[in-house]
Amino acid sequence: METDNKLKGRDLINVGIYGAIYFVILMAIAMLGMIPIFLPLLSVLVPIIGGVPFMLFLTKVKKPGMIFIFAMIMGVMMLLTGMGPWPLMTCAIAGILAELCVKRGDYRSAKRAVLSYGLFSMWIFGNYLPLFTDYDGYFAQRADYGQAYVDAVSKLMPLWMAPVLLAACFICGILGGLLGRVLLKKHFEKAGLA
Amino acid sequence: MVELRKVSFRYGSEDAQSNTENSLTDIDLTVQSGEFVLLTGPSGCGKTTVLRLINGLIPHFYPGTVEGDVFIDGESANKRELYETALSVGTVFQNPHSQFYNVDTTGELAFGCENRGLSEKEIYSRIDDTVCRFHIEKLMDRNIFRLSDGEKQKIACASVDVAGTDIILLDEPSANLDHEATLALRELIQCWRTQGKTIIAAEHRIAWLWELIDRVVILRNGRIVRELSGKEKNVLKQDELTALGLRSLHIEGPDDIDLPVITEADDPIILRDFYLRYSDADHPVVDIKTLRLASRRITAITGPNGAGKTSFLNCLCGLEKRCRGTIEYRGKRYDRKARQKLCFMVMQDAGNQLFTESVLEEVLISMPGNKSDDKKQAIRILRKLDLDSFRDRHPQSLSGGQKQRLAIACALASGREILLLDEPTSGLDHAHMMETAALLKQLEEMGTTILVITHDSELIRACCSRKLSFSVK
Amino acid sequence: MDYSSEQSQQKRRGFLDPRTKLAVTLVLAVFVMGGLGGDQLRYIKGVLSALPFLLLLTERQWRRFVRGAAMLAAGYGLLLAMPYLSGILNYLALFCGGILTRFAVTVVMGEYLIATTSVSEFISAMERLRVPQSLTIPMSVMFRLFPTIGAEWRSIRKAMLMRGIRLGGTKTGQMLEYQLVPMMTSTVRIGEELSASALTRGLGGSTRRTNICLIGLRIQDYVLLAGCLFTVIVWLLELCGMKLW
Repeated sequence: METDNKLKGRDLINVGIYGAIYFVILMAIAMLGMIPIFLPLLSVLVPIIGGVPFMLFLTKVKKPGMIFIFAMIMGVMMLLTGMGPWPLMTCAIAGILAELCVKRGDYRSAKRAVLSYGLFSMWIFGNYLPLFTDYDGYFAQRADYGQAYVDAVSKLMPLWMAPVLLAACFICGILGGLLGRVLLKKHFEKAGLA
Repeated sequence: MVELRKVSFRYGSEDAQSNTENSLTDIDLTVQSGEFVLLTGPSGCGKTTVLRLINGLIPHFYPGTVEGDVFIDGESANKRELYETALSVGTVFQNPHSQFYNVDTTGELAFGCENRGLSEKEIYSRIDDTVCRFHIEKLMDRNIFRLSDGEKQKIACASVDVAGTDIILLDEPSANLDHEATLALRELIQCWRTQGKTIIAAEHRIAWLWELIDRVVILRNGRIVRELSGKEKNVLKQDELTALGLRSLHIEGPDDIDLPVITEADDPIILRDFYLRYSDADHPVVDIKTLRLASRRITAITGPNGAGKTSFLNCLCGLEKRCRGTIEYRGKRYDRKARQKLCFMVMQDAGNQLFTESVLEEVLISMPGNKSDDKKQAIRILRKLDLDSFRDRHPQSLSGGQKQRLAIACALASGREILLLDEPTSGLDHAHMMETAALLKQLEEMGTTILVITHDSELIRACCSRKLSFSVK
Repeated sequence: MDYSSEQSQQKRRGFLDPRTKLAVTLVLAVFVMGGLGGDQLRYIKGVLSALPFLLLLTERQWRRFVRGAAMLAAGYGLLLAMPYLSGILNYLALFCGGILTRFAVTVVMGEYLIATTSVSEFISAMERLRVPQSLTIPMSVMFRLFPTIGAEWRSIRKAMLMRGIRLGGTKTGQMLEYQLVPMMTSTVRIGEELSASALTRGLGGSTRRTNICLIGLRIQDYVLLAGCLFTVIVWLLELCGMKLW
């Protein structure tokens, strides 16, 4: 029974449950992104707080495919909420990497789970990509936010920020994963959820 | 036909070295086609586990170790996939909020048939048939989030009916329902009886089903302790039932109990100008000019689902910003903000009001100020509420009743004078209900004012001395 | 009263096919909120922005219409008032106005999409688009759970208020824990009960699902889909440097 690697109804529903929690947290934090200084902070806050539901999600993952589906759904949701097609691409890549990472640990290793979440968190970089690939275009689109917003963002987001943000996503992902492990031990395992 | 042969079961994954006890031991049970069997017994006796073995949730959804065999219509059930079992077994669950997958009622009724790929024409005609027999025309094409609990439970039954399975399982379907809704549920079950469905119900509120059943199976600690046929069950006495941990056989609605709202001798709390209307409703849900309630008494708040009882309590504890009433209590006036420090509400889902990682910690954060003897005081309170042995447990791992007791412990620790409870005994068996009643009595003697929303006539009989009835406007 | 689910299903049928709604949402998300495209698309964007409001009217969603319109009006009001303000107020008005006008449209479209699409319609549309079950099941669970998470969150905040746990200086981390842990615990519990119920009713079986809801493209769908296509074409032409007007 355990060797059956096909995803069943229960696995898919689990993706939905944790996906819903992760997405709500993501959206709550994204509202902060309206304020310029918080825009780069998204790559810090989302990975850290999102680590809590994701680490609990990983305790339910025993078969290949679930993390990838989780990632793709985030991509689709980003597309629907107006972040453009870039996150879809980074989600696919980050999803596959995270998937491979836990698979090599046979879906058990706690260290690999944390690392996997770090890799997964790199999808968030997709939200910034249009900023760097089409620098002027990005600000032309946002001109109606006001010159002050544009000035503030462009001051905060020079080109060299690109690798910094990507690294921030990964590192904060690791931190978020560790935070998730702490809360897992402190709360969810004792509460009988994990 | 359903057959369990020498079935034992232990929760927990197979590889884990779990030394938990068996949830079920050596269960032998045969239910013939067309029979209606009631499984009953105190909380934790294993009656829900038996149903899970039959509908396949064990072992596919709740992992564990199964010994023995389960047969459904002569076929072994353990090997079958859940969606195969779904063709012959349908289940109505306890919680009306979490068992619907769709948001609209019609979609929910069709759901089971859609999953097995029946043709649209066939599904339409089945739905029409069910709607007609269950008389639920008024509930069709509605948003399920807007229905009352009783109506949700009707939809859950109808959904099982549309699927047309021969075996129907009921897992404490009446736990959250008021008196009228429970009686309505009984009519639906009667309908299945006349169709010759095989029905297995797990319940400890047994009065409403008692006349319908063919056989009672009483469980305790995971074993069958008694089995009574139709004739035998009728000679059973109430005190024997109580000894077995079962609820009363007497059907009584809260409205049948006559209690005053307040008496001359009582020290009154005076409520003024409580008014609340939700923006999408035509009528106010709470509309009270002045109302006098008895302080230092236990007042039952009764009335049908949707009459505004919970909204009223929210206003009273000052959690509802749009409601500007004041109360006068012991010669002092309290506005909304002040009431937040005077009242404590134990919510229906007490899990949402517990935040920390241990029972003791939970009580400690409720203590006003930081004194050195806080811990002693907290332990004293826990002992009083019989929670002392759970001191280091995680609050979210407690049972529903224990969570409520813990919430009450926090109320005591915070020194609030008015305690409000929302349905504290829904789903509790007789012994736990009596414990709650005794606890409330004890608090009353200490001088706490208690208001309790309840549909539970036995609780009212056991501890309430005042009653306030709400009706739907 | 003789109830006919087929007839009432026909009566309830929405103005648009869910696939069209998705296409319009995507175009709005990319062009209006995402701000893709330049001058050439300006007028098209104006028309697109009005679309969700019209759609709400076709479904007689008055309350949502009024709320969305109020949001938009507030946004434009701020933009109009901006020249008369100075300093930080000017900046704030521009900023809030910019966000409100941009977001009102997408928020209204999102509301329209969610309010008028049942789970069954959503699944059915996804199946016709050949989206596999492994995506439709999780997504339908998500949309089912969003209102639940909202309700749990509100109930938790209420409980914190009552227990006198307030946001304060050094305790931000603890506040996060206090909100996140019960919220996740109850959402996961509800989710588990939801899946138990869905699985005992045969979700995830190997047979092909049927759907009783009526979907299918009609004239209004073709018109709007053509509009979406037109927008994309104009944008592509603009990318190639062509000027249409």
